[in-house]
Amino acid sequence: MSGVQLTEIVKRFGEVQVVHGVNLEVAEQEFVVLVGPSGCGKSTTLRMIAGLEEISDGEITIGDRVVNRIAPKDRDVAMVFQNYALYPHLNVADNIAFGLRIRREPRQRIAATVQEVAGILGLTEYLGRKPADLSGGQRQRVAMGRAIVRQPKVFLFDEPLSNLDAKLRTQMRAEIKRLHRRLGVTSIYVTHDQVEAMTLADRIVVMNEGLIEQIGTPMDLFLNPANTFVASFIGSPPMNQVPAVVRSADTGPVAEFGGQRLALAPLDDLQGADGREIVVGIRPEFVTVRTAEDAGDVAIELDLVETLGSEALVHATLNGDPFVIKTETGTDVARLNRINSFTIAPELLKLFDRETGQVLPGQERG
Amino acid sequence: MVAENHPRGRVAERRITRAEAAQRFYKPSRLVRIVDHLKREWQIYVLLAPTIIWLILFLYKPMYGLQIAFKDYSLFRGIEGSPWVGFEHFYTLFQNDQFLRAIRNTVIISFYSLLFGFPVPIILALMFNEILNKRFKKTAQTIVYLPHFISSVIIAGIVITTFSPSAGIVNTFLEAIGGESIYFLTRPEWFRPIFVGTTIWQEAGFQSIVYLAAIAGVSPTLYESAVVDGASRFQMMWKITLPSILPTILIMLIIRIGNILEVSFEMIILLYQPATYETADVVNTFIYRQGIQGGQYDLAAAAGLFNAVVAFFLVITANTISKRYSRTSLW
Repeated sequence: MSGVQLTEIVKRFGEVQVVHGVNLEVAEQEFVVLVGPSGCGKSTTLRMIAGLEEISDGEITIGDRVVNRIAPKDRDVAMVFQNYALYPHLNVADNIAFGLRIRREPRQRIAATVQEVAGILGLTEYLGRKPADLSGGQRQRVAMGRAIVRQPKVFLFDEPLSNLDAKLRTQMRAEIKRLHRRLGVTSIYVTHDQVEAMTLADRIVVMNEGLIEQIGTPMDLFLNPANTFVASFIGSPPMNQVPAVVRSADTGPVAEFGGQRLALAPLDDLQGADGREIVVGIRPEFVTVRTAEDAGDVAIELDLVETLGSEALVHATLNGDPFVIKTETGTDVARLNRINSFTIAPELLKLFDRETGQVLPGQERG
Repeated sequence: MVAENHPRGRVAERRITRAEAAQRFYKPSRLVRIVDHLKREWQIYVLLAPTIIWLILFLYKPMYGLQIAFKDYSLFRGIEGSPWVGFEHFYTLFQNDQFLRAIRNTVIISFYSLLFGFPVPIILALMFNEILNKRFKKTAQTIVYLPHFISSVIIAGIVITTFSPSAGIVNTFLEAIGGESIYFLTRPEWFRPIFVGTTIWQEAGFQSIVYLAAIAGVSPTLYESAVVDGASRFQMMWKITLPSILPTILIMLIIRIGNILEVSFEMIILLYQPATYETADVVNTFIYRQGIQGGQYDLAAAAGLFNAVVAFFLVITANTISKRYSRTSLW
């Protein structure tokens, strides 16, 4: 058993409480990503698991041991840091071997393990170099090598790719994923980049202001966000959120906003809910764009079109608020500049209570 | 040639020529660029000015007077009017037992100072870094910095009193445990330990600030990473802190080696007496006695010049060695 369990974890710095009772169960071999905006407590949570921060309240279990009072070195975790934390005076081989030397492993075993890990990470020819002579991606690989040689029960990643440029980040992301598949070690990964979270995670934990907003598989969070925060955080570009009021029409419930109407799915919560204030969530990808020739249900004002190749981002305004649509570029590119409205099927919408921000029940999609 | 035969080629060539001419026209002269630079960055030069003025007045202007080392200098004839005598003063110096003794003493005292005095601030800084209680740390730091801010005369007074044969605490203690009272400051064999100990006490704390600053620059994640790897505090000090401040240590060592002949002159003057000249008289005190007290300015200038030339070569050598083996250097 090498899962990790967090029970009602609380972190206080003096008077200020930054993590308010986090509950999380990470299964053995699972890759869990903690994602959220800066200051949401995700890094603090990770550091509590590593033992770099004391736990103010609650309990952390690694494997079948409660580790609250156990020193970081005895928790059998390895951590990869954002700024690599490489020792500038040691070469790559010595950096990788550092943890093993500290533990006084036999010399021959250290050499063999370093060679093996360097082979896995493609660092064999750089073993003699100092960190200053490596590129950002290579440094990050050395940092991972240092974690791997320890053969820990749990890997902890603290925004390991944030210091890399966009291209390298994509490349390293894939490498981390491959590495996890190969080693099968339970991993907890912190990032503020939802793309990283979506691509790497078996399950994503969305955090905000020291609380978990939602836990689920990437697609689950994408299709069934529990609240407006998750909806605005997951997806690129994020979900459009249109404040609206529920009205009853002959055809069923509709959402009314700025004089326009959009048909809604007949949810239980909407029966006889005339006048209820809601937020209509519209994924940029789920919209079908229309032009003057075949005008759609909801009128928008086109602002500008960004063509990204096969896809295009249409920036428009709806009731004066920004509204983004992601659509296929298609063959007729000029058509994109004539977009004036869109249609969307009621079951593709996500409805939230405007006051609580919580999703209305009965909308789960698989 | 394409450019000549092809009408469009000719047009292109004309354009290039014109562009080159335009560039030539707009490239400002060196003087204009310097003036522009000064107009833009004059504040920096204003900040730099006091240091440059100080250097010129107190270090470069006196260099003019160095020529008296090669002259039979007399106050009445002045620097210009004194006749040249070549290396005569240097011959005199090296035939003078006192000068040779002064060189030997300088080297020995410097070597001891380096050997015992150089590691102390590093050790102090490492120890301060390990203190967790902030209040205790501040208090301890203030106590060790304090002697640096006390005038050497007072320090010497404290040392003389401490080792005084009648009322000094050391001799009182010696007598209390049944020993004999020793007049330390008149004994040649005691001068060097007392002098080296005094300068360490006076300066080590203050010198540790440089190393503390270097330690503060070490990324905290290096320690966190080591904690997760299982390093103890001592291992972290030995394997992270010390190597991380090694460049600073080397720079300080180079500077120190350059100053190896600059033994704290006023402290020696204050502590030595004719009875301890044998081990205490260094080049600087020799110069002082010959030049200022004995009025032999030319001989003293020669001794000083010799000192400076040796120091110059020491710095260059130390810097070259450090550059080659550790990539750290002053220039």
